[in-house]
Amino acid sequence: MSTLPLVFDSIPIARQASGPFSLEVAERRTVAVLGDEDSGVGLLGGYALGLERPPAGRVLIFGTVIATLPEPERLAFRRRVGYLPAGEGLLQNLSLRDNVALPLRFGSGAAPREIEGRVTVMLTALRLTGAANLRPAQANEEERRRAALARAIAFDPMLLILEQPFDGLTARVASELLEIARGGESAEGARRTIFITGQEIPPIIMRRVDQVYRLTRAGMLEPETSGFGTRG
Amino acid sequence: MRAATRLTAAGRAVAARLAITQVRFTALNAVGLVALLSGILSFLVISQLTRELKGIGATDLIGTVIVVAIVRELGPLLTALVVVGRSGTAIAAELATNQVMGEVRALEFMGIDPKQYLVLPRFVGSLVSVFALLIVFDFVAIMAGFAAARFNGLPGPRYFQIVLESLTNRDVWLTIFKALAFGAIVGVVPSYFGLAVRRASTEIPIAASRAVVAALVGIFLCSALFVALG
Repeated sequence: MSTLPLVFDSIPIARQASGPFSLEVAERRTVAVLGDEDSGVGLLGGYALGLERPPAGRVLIFGTVIATLPEPERLAFRRRVGYLPAGEGLLQNLSLRDNVALPLRFGSGAAPREIEGRVTVMLTALRLTGAANLRPAQANEEERRRAALARAIAFDPMLLILEQPFDGLTARVASELLEIARGGESAEGARRTIFITGQEIPPIIMRRVDQVYRLTRAGMLEPETSGFGTRG
Repeated sequence: MRAATRLTAAGRAVAARLAITQVRFTALNAVGLVALLSGILSFLVISQLTRELKGIGATDLIGTVIVVAIVRELGPLLTALVVVGRSGTAIAAELATNQVMGEVRALEFMGIDPKQYLVLPRFVGSLVSVFALLIVFDFVAIMAGFAAARFNGLPGPRYFQIVLESLTNRDVWLTIFKALAFGAIVGVVPSYFGLAVRRASTEIPIAASRAVVAALVGIFLCSALFVALG
């Protein structure tokens, strides 16, 4: 069985799909799948994490179909994957700091002091120290996105799934967040595998992505031909 | 219960903080209302009874009325109704809002069991709150009964003697079991209806309404079951 970070295997995704959707995301690669709302691109993150089940086919993360695991194992497995959903998914009654700390408090088993230390480091890395005590509704879009990314990388996952991560951000901030998401570079590529979905991504980000695909309304996957090409 | 055993130490601390907040909203903020209801109910009932029973020389029955009717039956029932009315709707609406806002989904993708973060603290908070409010209810009821008895010419020491003679260990245990059972209903039923909402915000008031109706039915049925078994 494949132990690639992420494999979509024969998923019927679009309403008028002419064929199933399949894609393999190799280790340390940054891959983006773009498409209109009708294309079903917004479903990919939920399928990958087993939050929704595809009508057919399967999605494997590190060789495991999360959706079929018993609930406690499914929850534990999701901690191996960072996820930044469209709309951030921050809890409204918690501060940005508590939002970042929450998965660590419930899932890490670390001592409270260690958790607070790690949260402080992440808030500093994401340049959120000044906004840490704000509630999501009091923070601006950039701060919310930074907090959502900090939460996504709380467990230092090797796979990150980002849904519309750069919408509404400046090119500079988008670029900075992608670099933080990648977790540094080595000779083999980025430290983390990144899977990005959305309708569009800024041109400056296109250059940093190894493979960019566009999902058509018929559910077909085509390499992006925006002029920047694919690096992969 | 299984959700509680799987919690990490830091997770337990978060759940405990949430449970304390729940107790503050459910119990502390309802003390005045429960005391008022209990005081008025007890004063009216004991005033009327003292007058009637004095006429036929059966004032000793006041103890039985206080213990059986007020402490054992009406106390848990009215306390639970107050909590359902105030907090059952709030729990259902809050969890339904969490669901509609995508926060339940957010917990799931973070690897957090929504039952641990959302339901468990409310369950524990409701158990503690109903139990604490019942103590307030019964204390105020007995003291209001004392005031009513004195007001109608029954000596204070005699009143307490009658009440204590009527109170058995069985009454105490039955009241405790009822408080726990009603607290569990108040914690679980609104949580279930709140989390059953899917996506539309129009479902929130419907969920709150259904939760209250179901919790009320559950409490009355449970109360009837206690009478049948007792």
